[in-house]
Amino acid sequence: MAQSPSGSAVKALQLELKKIQAEPVEGFRVKLVNDSNIFEWEVAIFGPPSTLYEGGYFKAHMKFPADYPYSPPSVRFITKMWHPNVYENGEVCISILHPPVDDPQSGELPSERWNPTQTVRTILLSVISLLNEPNTFSPANVDASVMFRKWKESKGKEKEYENIIRKQVQATKEEAEKDNVKVPTTLQEYCVLSTPAHDNQVDADFYDDDYVDDLDDEEEMYHEEDEEDSGNEES
Amino acid sequence: MEANGEETNPGFDPNKNYDEDTLAQQREIEKEIAAAQSMVSQLYTFDEIVEEYSQEDAIYRQKVEDLKTRFKNLRKTRGDGNCFYRAFGFAYLEILLSNAKEYKRFFDVAQKSKDELIGLGFPQFTLEDFHDTFMDVVKMVEKPGTVDALLNAFNDGGLSDYFVVYLRLLVSGHLQQNADLYIYFIDGERTVKEFCSQEVEPMGKESDHIHIVSLTKALQVPICVEYMDREGDKCNSFTFNPFEGSADTTDPTPVFTLLYRPGHYDILYPL
Repeated sequence: MAQSPSGSAVKALQLELKKIQAEPVEGFRVKLVNDSNIFEWEVAIFGPPSTLYEGGYFKAHMKFPADYPYSPPSVRFITKMWHPNVYENGEVCISILHPPVDDPQSGELPSERWNPTQTVRTILLSVISLLNEPNTFSPANVDASVMFRKWKESKGKEKEYENIIRKQVQATKEEAEKDNVKVPTTLQEYCVLSTPAHDNQVDADFYDDDYVDDLDDEEEMYHEEDEEDSGNEES
Repeated sequence: MEANGEETNPGFDPNKNYDEDTLAQQREIEKEIAAAQSMVSQLYTFDEIVEEYSQEDAIYRQKVEDLKTRFKNLRKTRGDGNCFYRAFGFAYLEILLSNAKEYKRFFDVAQKSKDELIGLGFPQFTLEDFHDTFMDVVKMVEKPGTVDALLNAFNDGGLSDYFVVYLRLLVSGHLQQNADLYIYFIDGERTVKEFCSQEVEPMGKESDHIHIVSLTKALQVPICVEYMDREGDKCNSFTFNPFEGSADTTDPTPVFTLLYRPGHYDILYPL
């Protein structure tokens, strides 16, 4: 008789996990929270270079429903985030993750919606681009949204938003060190590092990745920048 | 954190994501429907279903009588918002079991559709997966395909739902490729692409006239729909002819017939 609905979900998720681990893509890494449960993933997102988030290392949990891929997963940041589209509990509010039952008139900008061809990769790329381009039309964190608008409208003169973000990015360094991850901070590294390993071998232990060691220059720049910021914050 | 006072509903928690509750409730309903109805049923006679289809209504009763003069049997589909696609898919493949020439034509169209959809920007990795499963079901028609095997496949969630997803993508693809035409048939201030992402691609979204026109055109399959609505004393039948208005002179005789009762599609079998 009929296969259990989660049969499709397990198959789809295993395929995706294998694919992402075989060919890591720009900006993030994934693994299972617990090897025996394919429905919960831990993802690590690298802050995109040339944005406030540059150098940041943000962890989130993705939870997949039993009827995946017909319904979208949820994404919840474990790393503390101050962002117009992230709830206090870390849950990300973005159109691609909204279930199809949503009213199209909900005041949301017309934008990408969930459909069964969406993948972890398309979701995470949307989340990455959301970091730097919040949607202030339907904020999950109203205060962050107001603050972001002030920063944006003052062309960066109102620094409150920027300072909070940079502080949070700075705070993620410890976690990155703990995981032995060097976060790429130039566009080149961000993209180059994500191409498959030379021998095309699947490197299951992706946190222990073969990042080049010559990040020292970048690291120094990072520190300088950061000192400037903390100066601003105190003034 | 304060909610900026724009919500006055005391039960409303601005930091709570209500989607989850809505979803949970919806899943419960879906579970009940799934337990009670197979995705595609066995054959029924009208005498077997007349009570269910017309119990409270003399007009419907009369229309069932009208159907009996032209049709012998009916197959029910699950009322889960995917019924049109499932009815279309099953009825069509069942016909192809005994029409090798049409099967060959359809096979080629289905084969080629993958690259067209990838060209429209659907993620290749997942699209290929859906296409592969879709083709696996299609190939069940080949040498010695049986109605029972098809029926099993259409009641296997892993195959049946993947098949539905792919038909939805075909509809979306056709609408997007002919956006300058279909934009006039879409309500609200939406682009064709937005309409597709809201009303076509998500599983469980019901089908309207525009979805049927689009699928029959995408696959070049003429079909008939018997409308069991409240007007007149007979069902109104409507032929979706994908060749209309084109130079194509293919025979537009409907390949199969679906029954529409408001909100739902089933499959009809002629006398």
